[in-house]
Amino acid sequence: MPPTHSRSVQGETRDMTTPPTSAIEAQRRPKVEPRSEKSKPTGNPEHIRIADYSFYYGMSQALHTIDLAIPERQATALIGPSGCGKSTLLRNINRMNDLIDGIRHEGDITIAGESIYDPFLEVISLRKRIGMVFQKSNPFPKTIYENIVYSLRVAGRNKKSELDETVETSLKAAALWEEVKDRLNQSAFSLSGGQMQRLCIARAIANRPEILLMDEPCSALDPIATGKIEDLIHELKREYTIIIVTHNMQQAARVSDRTAFLYMGKLIEYDETEKIFMDPADPQTEAYVSGRFG
Amino acid sequence: MTNRTPKPIPERFIVKPATLWFDRFMNHFIKVGGLSIIVAVSLIFVFILIQIIPLFRGARVAPDRTMPIPADDYIALGSDEWSELPFFLTADGALRFVDTTDLPEPYHRGIFTRQAGIAQVADVTAVEFNPYASHLVLGSNDGRFSIVDVVYRATHPPRGGREVQVTLEETPPLRIGREGHPLRIVAYGDRGARKLLAAAQWVDERYELHAASLTQRQTLMGAGELSVEQTFDLTEHIDRRPAFLLVPPDADGVVIGQDDGVVRYVHFDGRRFTLRQIFEPFADLDDPRIASMHFLLGDVSLVFTAHNGAQRVFSLFRDPDKDMRIWGHTKTFPDLPGPATFFSAAMRNKGFLTGRERFATLRYSTTENIRWEQELPFDVHLAEIGPRYNRLLFLDTEHQLHFYDLHDPHPQAGWRTYFGKIQYEGRAEAEYSWQSTGGRDDFERKLSLVPLIIGTLKGTLYAMIFALPIALLAAIYTSQFLKPEIKRYVKPTMEIMASLPSVVLGFLAALWLAPIMSNAVPSVILATTFVIASAFGVGFVWGRLPRRIRMRLKPGYEFIAFVPVMALVAYLGWRLGPVVENAFFVVTDPDTGLRIADFRMWYPRATGLSFEQRNAFVVGFVMGFAVIPIIYTITEDALSNVPDAFRSGSLALGASRWQTAVRIVLPTASAGIFSAVMIGLGRAVGETMIVVMATGNTPVTHLNPFTGMRTLSANIAVELPEAPYLGTLYRTLFLGAMVLFLMTFVVNTLAEIMRQHLRERYKAVE
Repeated sequence: MPPTHSRSVQGETRDMTTPPTSAIEAQRRPKVEPRSEKSKPTGNPEHIRIADYSFYYGMSQALHTIDLAIPERQATALIGPSGCGKSTLLRNINRMNDLIDGIRHEGDITIAGESIYDPFLEVISLRKRIGMVFQKSNPFPKTIYENIVYSLRVAGRNKKSELDETVETSLKAAALWEEVKDRLNQSAFSLSGGQMQRLCIARAIANRPEILLMDEPCSALDPIATGKIEDLIHELKREYTIIIVTHNMQQAARVSDRTAFLYMGKLIEYDETEKIFMDPADPQTEAYVSGRFG
Repeated sequence: MTNRTPKPIPERFIVKPATLWFDRFMNHFIKVGGLSIIVAVSLIFVFILIQIIPLFRGARVAPDRTMPIPADDYIALGSDEWSELPFFLTADGALRFVDTTDLPEPYHRGIFTRQAGIAQVADVTAVEFNPYASHLVLGSNDGRFSIVDVVYRATHPPRGGREVQVTLEETPPLRIGREGHPLRIVAYGDRGARKLLAAAQWVDERYELHAASLTQRQTLMGAGELSVEQTFDLTEHIDRRPAFLLVPPDADGVVIGQDDGVVRYVHFDGRRFTLRQIFEPFADLDDPRIASMHFLLGDVSLVFTAHNGAQRVFSLFRDPDKDMRIWGHTKTFPDLPGPATFFSAAMRNKGFLTGRERFATLRYSTTENIRWEQELPFDVHLAEIGPRYNRLLFLDTEHQLHFYDLHDPHPQAGWRTYFGKIQYEGRAEAEYSWQSTGGRDDFERKLSLVPLIIGTLKGTLYAMIFALPIALLAAIYTSQFLKPEIKRYVKPTMEIMASLPSVVLGFLAALWLAPIMSNAVPSVILATTFVIASAFGVGFVWGRLPRRIRMRLKPGYEFIAFVPVMALVAYLGWRLGPVVENAFFVVTDPDTGLRIADFRMWYPRATGLSFEQRNAFVVGFVMGFAVIPIIYTITEDALSNVPDAFRSGSLALGASRWQTAVRIVLPTASAGIFSAVMIGLGRAVGETMIVVMATGNTPVTHLNPFTGMRTLSANIAVELPEAPYLGTLYRTLFLGAMVLFLMTFVVNTLAEIMRQHLRERYKAVE
């Protein structure tokens, strides 16, 4: 049996006296001023690195040695027919699949060079770094306000001014502020489907993660709501690394910078979105994007 | 009409008649089933209601018939059990028997007179009649007395039916006080071995008070003749003319009502008389004089009437300060129109019939309740409650005897009896008390449901204290933290617990657990505390262990580290129990001076509360055990039914498993958890076998964990075999059932409203 995962080299040999560079260590030191657009380093082309990654549900293998690098502050789309493993891959990036029994993986996923399987890394802090938006909007049975600040409250941050500010900035970033600013204390369930999904996006970015995972965020929405979310993704990718799983190839074409085509758990092709849609290298990709199967 | 042939319907579109018929049948069948349940529950409610309504009705009195009695100066009225042969006592000691049956001539005995022996040798100057013991005491003008037993016997003659025979058994005239001086008042009490007679004698223009203890020689032929054993002069104990004289049947004293309104209670210990109490029943009135003074059944309550009609009951109870039984004011009745002119105590309960002239009232002492009250069409001279409490006899001033039917099957029942504080006979203060039967016929029943309601709540409370944390935490743990493959075994195991018959649990609790727990209270408490503390301790330490060690146990398997620790501390706690007992729970035996380490003896001394082996602690433990599986199962289902999207959403936002459970899963499942708790509560409230077997069934009214209790349900189980059909106790048990029904009904209704509210608030988006 192969080892369940390969450990990142940095994790083993890191000298504890050197200034902390990784985000894991960053979370241990006191909070510095919030990131601003200017102070941010230029895009890391390998912000997320999925290296020879295989994943198994019990005996069945869901992912076969996937290898791809996802650049920082760009939108990357994962496309492919149902059951191709794109959602599985997405859910492994923030280790949501840990909840499932009998799973196992090979290879590694690193974020900014840090393995997500690092034994020193609390999975909770990993998830604080990675926001996630689900296929079906899942606001909590709480008020709009409490939904947004949930990630802050579980982190023990209860300062009213900070919470208020977060609600406003998050809702503005999710283009929902104007619609709900007068009813923040109403139940989240009073919103329409599209608004709920934007609320979930606002909730996911409230804690200012680095990465935003979106699992078919528009599949349950009407075209108008879908349009709004897509506009929003364009806005958000200036600040977040976005990975979006979608069934809708037009959507992938519209919102993403790079696109990965997965089929039967294998990465068939990964390239600039334009390249994938206009001039795919692989005939399978070509067949899929041109609608001949899928 | 055009002759169109209908287009044939293709067979594949035809619905089979059987399908339609069956569908219709099932539709109605289900409707009938559903409705029958509602009807059945309503019928149970109606049935219980019908059973308890008579408890809250007053007495019904209806005139029956009237018959003339020869004119004479009658001073007392007595009767046999069926009032077939009542007698009228004349002032000169003659008993006039009147046959009140409607038998034909040869059998009808008409009116006949018997003369007491003493009346033939002297003038009778004092008479006392005790209807309960059915004896007369006659005092003569020469200082002698005689005790006459009016013995009624029912015989069954060959003609069929019943014939009441009467014989007089009388003592020869016995001497008391000074010879040759008239006795003006006599009183007699008889308690088997001890018999006491008191008499007020008019001697040289003043009253003397004398008492005599009597003995009855036992001979081979049976009870022998009564003779005076010893006489006492009690004149020193009075300072005014005695107006009333009573001897309790216990023959342990004399109660003297003086003409100035002062009552003196002289106690007799078998050898000496001592003045024990002086009191004035109507001291607060303008005219404190006493118009009448009578015993109620049992002779520990005195009914006084004042000249303005005020009526008060005084009872004999143990004064905690003086540590002796003295009379105290216990009940007050509405005023009569004036001093009572007639009085009769019931011979089956604490009721009495009294009144003045035309006004008659039937009152019940225990509850201070007026059962019946009426202006009669005649002036009453004498009255009697039939010995069976089913008839009232009035002799009016025109010498007409009036029979009234009395229908009052539940004289004691009423709101006050069941839910109010009552000062019972012999008790120093008003209290809630349940004691449905006593050793004697004249026992005053105590039927307060309050101790039972408190007992029910107490049992439920202790069961819930034990069950709720365990069941809820266990449910949270299995649904949110435990690995599903282990949960597959845990959940059915817990459900098997629910199927344990409660009689088995009760049996175990009473015969196995209660002795162990009472022997080792400190051990039990320590072990429990240690286990709870160890959970926090292990959690704290675990969170601080290096992740490399924690990694060895996958999430969901942490219990492997915890269980050995828990077992160890539980064992330590158990072992440490006796050590703690030796150190802190030590009592010194006052007799031997030995120091004994025993919690059971220490607890009552330290707290003043009692310690019983079968106590609320044990019941809480075992009933908790019975309730846990229900609460656990329903809660677990409710928690597991929370949409996974909520959990994932919460976890993806960086919440820990615990934060997710507490902040998201619990509120969302709150409606279901609430139902679970309520169903558990309902089970605990109605649980019967465990409490019957493991509580001792003492109807106490405090929440001391180391005494038992009696719950409403256990009360029904325990008392039903002893409750005569349709009797007061029988109906009272149904009232208990109704209270139980209403308690669960109210709790469930509130719970349902609350649940709807929670469900509305936390409903998942569709």
